[in-house]
Amino acid sequence: MAGLDPLRLAVLAAAAWCLAALVFQTVRAYRFGRHEIHSAAAGVSLKGIAYAFGPGMMPWGKESAARHLPTYLTGIGYHGAVFAALGYLVTVMSRVALPAEWRIPLTAVFAAGAAGGIGLLVKRAVKPVLRSISCPDDFAANVLVDLLLAAAIASLWIPGADTVLLATAALLFLYIPLGKIRHCFFFFYSRILFGIFFGRRGVLPPRPRESQP
Amino acid sequence: MTAEPTKDILEERLGRLTPADIRKAVETFRAALGHQGAADLNACVHCGLCADTCHYALTSDEPENPPAYKVNLVMAVFKRYFTRLGRTVPGWVGARELDETLTREWVDVLFGRCSLCGRCNLNCSVGLNITALITAARAALTAIGLIPPELQSTITTAYTTGNNMGIAQNDWVETVQWLEEELQAETGDPTARMPLDLHGARMLYTVNPREPKFFPLSLLAAGKVFYAAGESWTLATDYYDVTNYGLYSGEAPVAGELSDRLVRTVERLGCQELILGECGHGFNANRWAAPEWLSKRYPFRVRSVLELLAEYIRDGRITLDPSKHTEPVTLHDPCNLVRLGGVVEAQRFVLRHAVQQFVEMTPNREKNFCCGGGGGQLAMTRYAQRRLQAGRIKADQIGATAAKVVATPCHNCMDQLSELNKEYKLGVAIKTVCELVAEALVLPAQ
Repeated sequence: MAGLDPLRLAVLAAAAWCLAALVFQTVRAYRFGRHEIHSAAAGVSLKGIAYAFGPGMMPWGKESAARHLPTYLTGIGYHGAVFAALGYLVTVMSRVALPAEWRIPLTAVFAAGAAGGIGLLVKRAVKPVLRSISCPDDFAANVLVDLLLAAAIASLWIPGADTVLLATAALLFLYIPLGKIRHCFFFFYSRILFGIFFGRRGVLPPRPRESQP
Repeated sequence: MTAEPTKDILEERLGRLTPADIRKAVETFRAALGHQGAADLNACVHCGLCADTCHYALTSDEPENPPAYKVNLVMAVFKRYFTRLGRTVPGWVGARELDETLTREWVDVLFGRCSLCGRCNLNCSVGLNITALITAARAALTAIGLIPPELQSTITTAYTTGNNMGIAQNDWVETVQWLEEELQAETGDPTARMPLDLHGARMLYTVNPREPKFFPLSLLAAGKVFYAAGESWTLATDYYDVTNYGLYSGEAPVAGELSDRLVRTVERLGCQELILGECGHGFNANRWAAPEWLSKRYPFRVRSVLELLAEYIRDGRITLDPSKHTEPVTLHDPCNLVRLGGVVEAQRFVLRHAVQQFVEMTPNREKNFCCGGGGGQLAMTRYAQRRLQAGRIKADQIGATAAKVVATPCHNCMDQLSELNKEYKLGVAIKTVCELVAEALVLPAQ
């Protein structure tokens, strides 16, 4: 464990907690009951899953995305930036120095993501429909992730700001399984089941129009 | 718009809830959720993008209408009873006790503002099975007697009499015999049959009891097509009801028993196939849900009559003359048959052969809008005003096609479309696919 200072150890411990808690929650979800499927399939589950993670996520495959294109694109940018920040966190954790010319593009990605996150936060606070379904956790989750992105930017430009990024990351990992950010894991779980459901029923992927039944 | 009756059986029941009732509801809820429900409730991000994919939310600004609101009500209970933070700091994560206030809201919103059409499922950012979540909550309510009594009465009638209209067996048999005489007159063939309990017939045909009760010509149309195709088929004297409102109450044991009666009838008569008449939820219940309710793989095939009609046309077993229908015909896709059932192209294939001008609604197929009649809404008369209001989207869709005839392979949809026809003055005729096929049928020369 040479080179691991207490803060880096804390991040690792928080990440391990996060992973363990998510695995535990998955086991708990399974304990709600899982049954063998008995109905005869009319389509292919795997095709449904492929569709669910591919065309089914696109605005032309999902009316809600098409109708809310700015929100959809903001969400894509936000999540892309978060994953980029987690990738950057790995380099900070392992003390890998990134080439200087990466700083500006990465800053742009993180800043765009953070701006998107703040935009979504404001939307949640302002729109009555969203406010009616929101709880403090929804706001806290957003703020935590925005802080991670801000800390990532700071760490790119300010010597010594790595500690802020590491502390924020540790906090984020600790919180993930407790609040709504656990969707980062359960999204895939639900999306796979979505693909299986519509795939084996022969609904998705949509068949070519005018095709023979 | 709020539900009109204020003091009925449901209200009385709500006022007498005990802690034991709540425990029972929570336990039922847990069992009905299964692992998919638990995963979905861990995955929801409250994005609210589902709001304007729902016909209720699109036709009324009431905050309770968006699917996200409905999911949030369900999730509040999940968090309170099944998550650590929900138990310790409920306010932080929006967890709520299933008390009288929330139970009342569950009833009003989950029974009264959702037709379980699944359009939000398809459009959910994550892909939650929202209909399953709402059905799980309905199951919990049903377990403690908090199902709207009109819906429960439909289920009870089906359970106790064998069909949801409570048709006595001798009335059913007499109707079929009368229709057989009609068939013989129409075909000019005295040997034409509407068989009952024909052992060894290739297929058992099931119908919505509204057909013998109110629309016997719809059943006659099916008989005529089977006659023309030279099909080996039968109806059953006892269990012939394709509907299963247990799908909407979430009460799996009852729903399973209703479907199992059809399974037992197929086996009793030695049929090779169960053909489900034109009924959206009946298809979903018997084709997809029932094998899971019963934990049973069927030893016979289950198909919609639409798939059978398409097969007849493709194999040249029936000939249709589309010039019998010169007016533009559009098609309403029943949600349970299409989006949740996977029967998407068969009805289009059939209609393209049966009519001259087939016009699609927009959107259509799996993206169709619900007519508003599903989810038990037609039975729950207390929510009729909301149902008609939510149906405006469908009325607008129909109007935009300029069609004169709306075909729909579902008697529930037919009833709702008929009401929309009056409410929104659409001036269309509403027919089943089988009726249109029968009208275009070129009967084999005797």
